Amino acid sequence: MNKILEVKGLKKDLGTFSLQDVSFSLLEGCITGFIGLNGAGKTTTIKTILGLVLKDSGSIEFFGKDMNLNERELKNHIGIVFDEGYFYEELTLAEMKSIIAPAYSNWEESVFHKYMEHFRLPLNQKISTLSKGMRMKYAIALALSHHADILIMDEPTSGLDPLVRSELMEILLDFMGNGGKGVFFSSHITSDLEKVADVLILIDKGRIILSEEKDVLLDTHGLVKGEKMALNDQTRELFLTLRETNYGFEGLTNSKHAVRQQMNNVLIEKPTIEDIMLGYVRR
Amino acid sequence: MLLHLVKKDFLLSKRYMKVMLIASFAIPIFMTFKVDFLSGGFFPFFLSTLYIQYLLFNSVSMLEYKYKGSALLCATPYTRKALVKSKYLFILAIFVCCYIVYTITALLIAGKIEMLSISESGLSLLILSIIFGAIIPVQYYFGYEKSKYIFMFFIFITPFVFPFIIKVVQANNISFQMMLPFPKIVQDLFPFLLALVIGLISMTVSIRIYSKKNL
Repeated sequence: MNKILEVKGLKKDLGTFSLQDVSFSLLEGCITGFIGLNGAGKTTTIKTILGLVLKDSGSIEFFGKDMNLNERELKNHIGIVFDEGYFYEELTLAEMKSIIAPAYSNWEESVFHKYMEHFRLPLNQKISTLSKGMRMKYAIALALSHHADILIMDEPTSGLDPLVRSELMEILLDFMGNGGKGVFFSSHITSDLEKVADVLILIDKGRIILSEEKDVLLDTHGLVKGEKMALNDQTRELFLTLRETNYGFEGLTNSKHAVRQQMNNVLIEKPTIEDIMLGYVRR
Repeated sequence: MLLHLVKKDFLLSKRYMKVMLIASFAIPIFMTFKVDFLSGGFFPFFLSTLYIQYLLFNSVSMLEYKYKGSALLCATPYTRKALVKSKYLFILAIFVCCYIVYTITALLIAGKIEMLSISESGLSLLILSIIFGAIIPVQYYFGYEKSKYIFMFFIFITPFVFPFIIKVVQANNISFQMMLPFPKIVQDLFPFLLALVIGLISMTVSIRIYSKKNL
């Protein structure tokens, strides 16, 4: 699979927070979940990739081309959805579209109107009167009406009700169905990614902690429960986090097969992405 | 592309547009009837244009600050450079609109309101380009909130400094006609050229400042 986005050694010092040597890549045909707690560096990373925050060092390549040297050309292939929207709320949907649309050389008006009808968004409505869910749908309509090859979404599901979140997941799967596309989706609500993500990248305190296929992560990690007597210096090393009580223990391992071999009478459960994320963050 | 960004600024300031259109008619009429200007149409036109340009520029800046829309625009193929250029074009477009409205007013109320001469329009454009040539980079550098206080300070000290400048100009009998040994047509067009140069220098400075900003 081709690399749609490749980030290498990205650094940015913002005084109280810094991105430290952030490196990862996005593959064609994959929905990549970018997870981390609030303030971990997700938005800063996305803004740096898009050139909104200026990087101190590192390289950003879309489709093998340097972002710095081909910014306008590459941004024609990127669809953006921000959590905060960054819309001029005084304007109507039609007015805001009339500003955004001319920026893209491959904007297709009929596609935009199709989305607006599908989402039941009236063009003459003021943006300030839209609900959070409607605003998100409008952002998606703008992001997908110029035949983007990669969709970058910063916390798109934050503050949305389950129905709209579910609709959003369907839109993403529909977008991916066209082939040759990629989605980069940041969220701290990991349950959404559980359904649609192919690859997960975890960031914490401005550092990439892990980057792995979701199925591999869920397969290699396990929530282990058992009696305290099963623990010794050697088996303790197998855990990312370990919580011991007077009666037993509970911990997250990234070596499920080693736990099976070395520990008897323990219960191994399938973890959620949230369990894995918290396991690495609390380590 | 640039024109769409200028259109964006007009859309953002549409709430004030009707009032400003009325003001561009009313202010020169009111000023001319109340004060007998020796300098023809220059002062009524210049002051009304400055007032309208500043209010519209400020209202757009306030909305930009409030909604951070430039972050979304810069994430699209619009460049930061285009965003800065459009701001200067917006100011120029307001000047042109004010000039047209003033000329229509002068034609309608012929005899009372004088038409602007080339040199008067040039001088107005020159002074406005000096003012906005300073305001725009300052706002890009300090941001809307901080620059608001800087501009308030300058507006506050203007009544104290302005008479002093006028006094110096009058005492030394300074005028463009005396300073330049060129034919009249060149002297008339010189302020336009100077305004363009000042605008371009200011634009270059603003582009440099904005290119280093985190959005």
